[in-house]
Amino acid sequence: MAPQPIYLEEKLKEIQESGRLVYRSKAMPTWCPGCGYFSMVDGLPGALNDLGIAPKDTVVVSGIGCSSRFPFFVNTYGFHSLHGRALPVATGIKTANDALTVIVVGGDGDGFAIGGGHVPHAARRNIDITYLLFDNGIYGLTKGQTSPTSAINFHTTTSPYDNLDQPLNPLLMLLTYGATWVGQAYAGQPQQLEELMKEAIAHRGFSYLHILSPCVTFDKTDRTYVNLGELVCDMPPGHDTSNLSAAMALAMDTAHPALGVYYKTERATLADNFEEIVRRAAGDAAAKRATG
Amino acid sequence: MNKTDIQIAICGSAGEGTIAAGDILRSALAGAGYRIIAFDAYPAEIRGFGKCVARLRVTTEQAYSLKEKSDVLVCLNDDHGIPHIGEVRDYGAVIYEEKSIVPLAEGAHVSAHILPGQVPYPVPIRELSERTTGAVRSRNMVVVGYIAGLFGLSREPFYKIVDAKFKNKGSVAVQNRKAFDAGYDLGAATFKLDDVQFGAPGEMFHATMLNGNAAVARGCLDAGIDTFFGYPITPATTIMEKLASEMPKRGKRLLQTEDEIAAIATTIGAGYTGARAATATSGPGLALMSEMLGLGVMAEVPSVVFVSQRGGPATGIPTKTEQADLNIALHGGHGDAPRIVIAPTNVDGCYRCAGKAFEMAERYQTPVIVLLDLYLSNRYETVALPAKSPFEADSDKPLAKQDLGAGYKRFAYTDDHVSPRALPGMAGGMHVVTGLEHNELGRVNEQPDVHEAMSRKRHEKLKAALSHPDFTVYKRFGDEGQVDVGILGWGSSFGECLEAMFLARREGIRCAALKVVMLSPFPVDAVTAFLDDCGAVLVPELNYQGQFAQLVQAETCRPVHRYNRVTGTPLRVEDIYAEVRRLALAATRKAA
Amino acid sequence: MSTPRHHVVIGSGVAGNQAAETLRQRDPESRVTMITVSKLPFFNRYDLPRVFRGERDWRKFVIYPAEYYLDNRIALRRATKVVNVDGARRTLTLEHNETVRFDTLLVASGASAYMPAELAEYQPLMHGFGAFRDAIAAADALPKDGHVILMGGDTIGLDLGRTLLDVGYRVTVIAEKHTFWPHEIKAEERPLYIEALAKMGFEVIDGHARGEIAAVRAGAPGLAPRRVVFHDGSEIHGDIVMPFFGVAPALDFMLGSGVDIERGLLVQPSLRTTNEAIYAAGDVCQIWSDADKRYHFYHGWKNVRAMGELAARNITGADEPWVPIQDESLQLSADGRIRSPFWEYA
Ligand SMILES: Cc1cc2nc3c(=O)[nH]c(=O)nc-3n(C[C@H](O)[C@H](O)[C@H](O)COP(=O)(O)OP(=O)(O)OC[C@H]3O[C@@H](n4cnc5c(N)ncnc54)[C@H](O)[C@@H]3O)c2cc1C
Ligand SMILES: Cc1ncc(C[n+]2csc(CCOP(=O)(O)OP(=O)(O)O)c2C)c(N)n1
Ligand code: SF4
Ligand SMILES: [Mg+2]
Repeated sequence: MAPQPIYLEEKLKEIQESGRLVYRSKAMPTWCPGCGYFSMVDGLPGALNDLGIAPKDTVVVSGIGCSSRFPFFVNTYGFHSLHGRALPVATGIKTANDALTVIVVGGDGDGFAIGGGHVPHAARRNIDITYLLFDNGIYGLTKGQTSPTSAINFHTTTSPYDNLDQPLNPLLMLLTYGATWVGQAYAGQPQQLEELMKEAIAHRGFSYLHILSPCVTFDKTDRTYVNLGELVCDMPPGHDTSNLSAAMALAMDTAHPALGVYYKTERATLADNFEEIVRRAAGDAAAKRATG
Repeated sequence: MNKTDIQIAICGSAGEGTIAAGDILRSALAGAGYRIIAFDAYPAEIRGFGKCVARLRVTTEQAYSLKEKSDVLVCLNDDHGIPHIGEVRDYGAVIYEEKSIVPLAEGAHVSAHILPGQVPYPVPIRELSERTTGAVRSRNMVVVGYIAGLFGLSREPFYKIVDAKFKNKGSVAVQNRKAFDAGYDLGAATFKLDDVQFGAPGEMFHATMLNGNAAVARGCLDAGIDTFFGYPITPATTIMEKLASEMPKRGKRLLQTEDEIAAIATTIGAGYTGARAATATSGPGLALMSEMLGLGVMAEVPSVVFVSQRGGPATGIPTKTEQADLNIALHGGHGDAPRIVIAPTNVDGCYRCAGKAFEMAERYQTPVIVLLDLYLSNRYETVALPAKSPFEADSDKPLAKQDLGAGYKRFAYTDDHVSPRALPGMAGGMHVVTGLEHNELGRVNEQPDVHEAMSRKRHEKLKAALSHPDFTVYKRFGDEGQVDVGILGWGSSFGECLEAMFLARREGIRCAALKVVMLSPFPVDAVTAFLDDCGAVLVPELNYQGQFAQLVQAETCRPVHRYNRVTGTPLRVEDIYAEVRRLALAATRKAA
Repeated sequence: MSTPRHHVVIGSGVAGNQAAETLRQRDPESRVTMITVSKLPFFNRYDLPRVFRGERDWRKFVIYPAEYYLDNRIALRRATKVVNVDGARRTLTLEHNETVRFDTLLVASGASAYMPAELAEYQPLMHGFGAFRDAIAAADALPKDGHVILMGGDTIGLDLGRTLLDVGYRVTVIAEKHTFWPHEIKAEERPLYIEALAKMGFEVIDGHARGEIAAVRAGAPGLAPRRVVFHDGSEIHGDIVMPFFGVAPALDFMLGSGVDIERGLLVQPSLRTTNEAIYAAGDVCQIWSDADKRYHFYHGWKNVRAMGELAARNITGADEPWVPIQDESLQLSADGRIRSPFWEYA
């Protein structure tokens, strides 16, 4: 099927009428032209708009990195925190106010190097927030050093003899940590990205969306649009999103990164548990949830 | 009325119920209407046979520290008791296990070490426990009963505590009452040779007995804390433990985080939403929190951090007390990162500082560090807490409707340098807070004038804390006007400073003591005025570097004399007094 | 480094304390340990009657301040009872299960009040006078202007009686064979002394004439709290009853020690027992007299103190024989008053 031509005027009209522009701030993204991150500034407003979540009820929390600049580019409440600490800041916000929709944005270094200690805990507690992780396999903001997801033999300024460290497998980690919604998207496929964002945000519990994204400035060899575009593939037909083993098997096939929802399930969220504790503290024995 | 001032020490190993005995004694005596100061020392080992010492001072007048000498010593065990016999004063009582079931080498029994001036009371503790309860477990109750009987105390307050303590444990309360009674009867029948006299408690002092950490928890609750985040660490953990059981009863939330970085990050996250949020830690945790505290300063988000200091650096001496985290509390972290640091000096202060910390954090939009230490966290005192919370429920600067909207300036420059804040969920208040330097709107801005103006704003707004309503920033005690020697103290060790000051005055030295509760911002004028009133100034503290002395000298440009100890134990009143005397003598010699 | 000699003294009475002090002086390098069942440090028991004058603070009776023991390096072990002495191994066992080794041992455990077997069962109804707490208990039980019945009436009892009379109490002495113990009085002189007692203010009852004391009983309602019943059926009433039948050496713990014992520990004039490491002094010992070829007890604080000193001297190398230094005879002064040398102390 040949791609349909898109006409700018029509598109602009459609965008203006959609209402998604209220989610965009007046600040111009500071990213390099062509950076994969631009797709998220388009995607998130669309997702929030479609879900009908008001900007005033949304808090976007980030760490430090190119990707973490994101809160400045949306017109919601925003918390641009510290390198690696977006998840706990978001945990505090959500714990204090359930009514808020809390979205965490960060890079691969932010989430899996310096902030790696926080990820398992956000996942296992099933706190009802969404974590959008932009994985460009590199430290963008500090101008191109290896990250925990950099490929073996990747050449950077801090790995002048090439990176020999095994990269992490974030999807597999999150499945193991107990995230209740795990999916993968690609910056080069913005429409699907927006759909997946929407589904992740709508999910009740901790949702993790891994977004493959090129750093056009500092990575000319590995995760380029060309290379990524060739690698990514659709979900295998009939993938059962309630089957954790199947999701893990899929995540282990790093040579063929499949895009879409890997796994989703329902269980008590952190807020549910807080309420349960309040009931127990009130001595409401009948409220004791059957365990096991 | 007969004044009572009696210190009881109980020594034993961790498994012998030593601390529990001290707990029952102090609770019952507090219940009987006496004033209590109590501090236990125990080993790092969780179980096993490490030495525990429970000490309590029972008075009818207000006291400020433990005494050097105990009036009564109980040795539940020979090995641990023997090293402590020297702390009993002449004509004080030494109570110990009459017989050993295993043969002892010469000198292995407490009786071999009792000094000629002390009064020995051998008691068949084990035998009475076994006879009344069939087990040795209740030896501590026998001893508590023996003390009560020997000193002619009423049984009722003890029954009350025993019943409450073993409320849900079936026959255990009955058994323990029996053990108590057996000890009591023997004590009452014992011919008393010591000169330790309990006077009537007199006018009932309506008090609750709490340790510093429990008082902090009460302060948090009375201030309406919404969320608490923490990572266990001695000696702060019991704050979290207390809140973990109390907050859910009030519908509030507490989360044990994965580390201290997360603890402060969550606290700041919650504070950002307008919730009253706090965390509690010790030195190692505070070190991990440094970067995030800077974010709290930069983003102007309220947060309250309770820090109970212990021996350092690194893992240090987790079960010993020290005041060596003043520097990190004041300055820890990078950049010009001013924050409010307050340090209560007693249990009542713990309650007040805890509650006020939330007011200040909100009012001045800043992290507030409340500095305690092991000695204060774990020390019990009888305090009269207000029936109704004395703390403001909401101290946020009011936000006018017209402030909100497209041009809302989260970091607007104002007269008092505090900008009304919009909270997530408020229409028209959307903004981004960031650790990057920013302008009034919160947009990233690195211009020199902006950085200077914002730095000024962040520093200047805190000055108002020096006159925060209903808060004791500093307080002078003792002689007024010019004095020979002044003692300048802070934190947990101020009690000993105060007692030393009283002692010096009794010995004819003109002496005053100034306690400084607010360490940042520093009450420069008041402290300078005090220093100018003193012929010489002594700054006693439990750290090697003289961290507070350095602060005082830097802020006031006046010389002070330091007195630093790092023994892991509280300062000794006699030692402080000796320094005061030395300074007073040197002054007279110079004058002559 | 050789371990210093360990001198152990059992007893903290006059004999024991004098011995400890002498041992310390003559053997400065040694360890000196004094073991006593008493909870109090050495106090002046001769002054105990003062309790009945209202002096109740034991600190006022103490002879040496606490520093004395520290300064002289005398390890004073109070509230500690010796239950066995092993003369061969030179160890002693304390009641609380501790074993102490000694190089030399001086037994100065004194004597405790003697109680005739037929009256022993009534002891709970009597008030003793051996220890400080006994004196306090007796004084507590005695109402103002109360009536004290002294059974027997040895010199210790009579000394107390003198104070009681002086304070204004009524004192009855039930005279029998222990009266005036340990003084030996010729039968024909006895009535003179009894008469003298009456002159001093005592009410004297001749126990022998009433067929001796049969029992002590609690007082019936409306009567004084105590009754002493005689075999002839008569009885007298008082507030407290105190036995003063002389003393018996305290030496049960020596029964397994291997040293010779008759009524007291038998010692040579050097005060050495049959074990060369063990000496004895004071009320506990009987000393061989070459003159009359038998063992003698010697009482009174002056004799006892001299014994303590002599034993310590001989333990530390001297070889001197015992010579009694105190006259033990009871005297009747010209004005008909009794004078015992035991009552004379500075
Ligand atoms: C109440 C009283 C009043 C007296 N008043 C006079 C007086 O006025 N004038 C006078 O000259 N004489 C008086 N005497 C008699 C005279 O004091 C004695 O001769 C003298 O006290 C004997 O001294 P001692 O050192 O041999 O023994 P004690 O003074 O009897 O001392 C014996 C010591 O041995 C200790 N002891 C005993 N058994 C043991 C054991 N198993 N283990 C450890 N320690 C043990 C006791 O605790 C005690 O300390 C009085 C005696 C008494 C009891
Ligand atoms: C404590 C700390 N250490 C180091 C840095 C410097 N730093 C800023 S961003 C970054 C890495 C960013 O990489 P990534 O998280 O992958 O984000 P990207 O820029 O690639 O989106 C580093 C090391 C910092 N800000 N804070
Ligand atoms: S450096 Fe790389 S990641 Fe950062 S904005 Fe530029 S292209 Fe994007
Ligand atoms: Mg990256």
